[in-house]
Amino acid sequence: MVQDPLSLIDALMVALSGFVIVFIMLALLWGIIAVVSRAVSGVEHRPAAAPAPAPMPAPAPAAPAAAAPAAAQPAPQVVLEGIDETQAACVMAIVSHETGIPLDQLVFKSIKAV
Amino acid sequence: MQFSFIEALGEILSGSGFAALADDPRSLIMILISFVLLYLGIGKKFEPLLLIPIAFGMLLANFPITGLLNAPTATSSPGMLWVFYQGVEHAIYPSIIFLGIGAMTDFGPLIARPSSLLLGAAAQLGIFAAFLLALALGFPGAVAAAIGIIGGADGPTAILVASRLARDYLPAIAIAAYSYMALIPMIQPPLMRLLTTKEEREIKMEQLRPVSKIEKIVFPIAVATVVILLIPDTAPLIGMLMLGNLLRECGVTERLSDTAQNALCNIVTIFLGLSVGCKAVASTFLTWDTIKIIILGLIAFMFSTIGGLIFGKIMCKLTGGKVNPLIGSAGVSAVPMAARVSQVEGQKANPANFLLMHAMGPNVAGVIGSAVAAGFMLKVFGA
Repeated sequence: MVQDPLSLIDALMVALSGFVIVFIMLALLWGIIAVVSRAVSGVEHRPAAAPAPAPMPAPAPAAPAAAAPAAAQPAPQVVLEGIDETQAACVMAIVSHETGIPLDQLVFKSIKAV
Repeated sequence: MQFSFIEALGEILSGSGFAALADDPRSLIMILISFVLLYLGIGKKFEPLLLIPIAFGMLLANFPITGLLNAPTATSSPGMLWVFYQGVEHAIYPSIIFLGIGAMTDFGPLIARPSSLLLGAAAQLGIFAAFLLALALGFPGAVAAAIGIIGGADGPTAILVASRLARDYLPAIAIAAYSYMALIPMIQPPLMRLLTTKEEREIKMEQLRPVSKIEKIVFPIAVATVVILLIPDTAPLIGMLMLGNLLRECGVTERLSDTAQNALCNIVTIFLGLSVGCKAVASTFLTWDTIKIIILGLIAFMFSTIGGLIFGKIMCKLTGGKVNPLIGSAGVSAVPMAARVSQVEGQKANPANFLLMHAMGPNVAGVIGSAVAAGFMLKVFGA
């Protein structure tokens, strides 16, 4: 595409256009991720909205809690011994990072300072 | 005919590698360099998984009269290292390593904050700065492009581009890339402190939103489709990176994902290291160009770090102080080393600061960014 020796102008043009193309490409991906996220969010919320108008006779007191979507539930309580919440969050992040298991797939029961 | 033990011994010695070494003492220097690299890999733990095979490949290649590097002829079989090298020659090993990287990488932080992609783009500044400097030092355009890719801080990408554009310089480029990746915890922090204020380093970032499984599955398919259609030369790297990630995220190919992350990646790492090392022979390695490449590699890493930090500062301003500029330096794609450096520096400024997950976004964006830059260079300078 270009022939040696490159003139100063050509070299600068290659460098500048390369840098700009990397930016454009990644900005384009940003746009695509945003669109996909919005679409997925729309799809995921649709089934949740659909059952709402369905006739729901007064459920037993325990039922609503059991039927609540998992995402809306608070994370299971982790027993912390000798460390504060911030340190615990750090430990969780490190464990997730080192094991390669996403945080949403890990369950911590207790974290204890030794 | 009388058998003479002394004569036989003399013939064995004159036909041995020791005698051949005396004919070309430069091979001896290369062997010593391979010892130094072995020491750095084993003793100092500088990227040992790759540096040790590279150093040993260099050692084997510089033993004289072994025939390890001989190409096949009508009457002889190829040498073992020549066969291994075909995987580099035809871009097989770097692509398979990218498959493994994809299978190991969680793109969740990037999907949760896609603006991180711009930090990954900004941190490719070093590629183009080093490219210009290499041209100024007299390298041809294609070689300058391959040297510049060191700034992407991505070993497989640097090897792929060097194998296509600057075959003679492949060992120097690979060694520079992997050595500086190992030195990131020393190269980046001074620049991070120099270019950011204490107030900026103390910024605590908001928790990232959870990313759904569907988003994670669609991401590799969408990225592969768009990037490869726009820049087809990125296909070996982006294609395999995204395939690896899809194997990880789709949830139905755990065995393949596990193989890509571990066994396959480890096997290919051995072949890749040996293949790169075996090209480090005295005639092409013991030159001033190698010294220049080592220096340019360092400059490339520094410029990439600076690019990421400056863009991090811009994002910090634009978001009203919600982005800690330290995550910008993680845009160089050395995963996860650069993100860890951001975490460490952030915590030094503010012990309650946890930047690791925020820095992983630009970090993995850097992998895509350097692959795009490599595709661009291959497009411009490829035959």
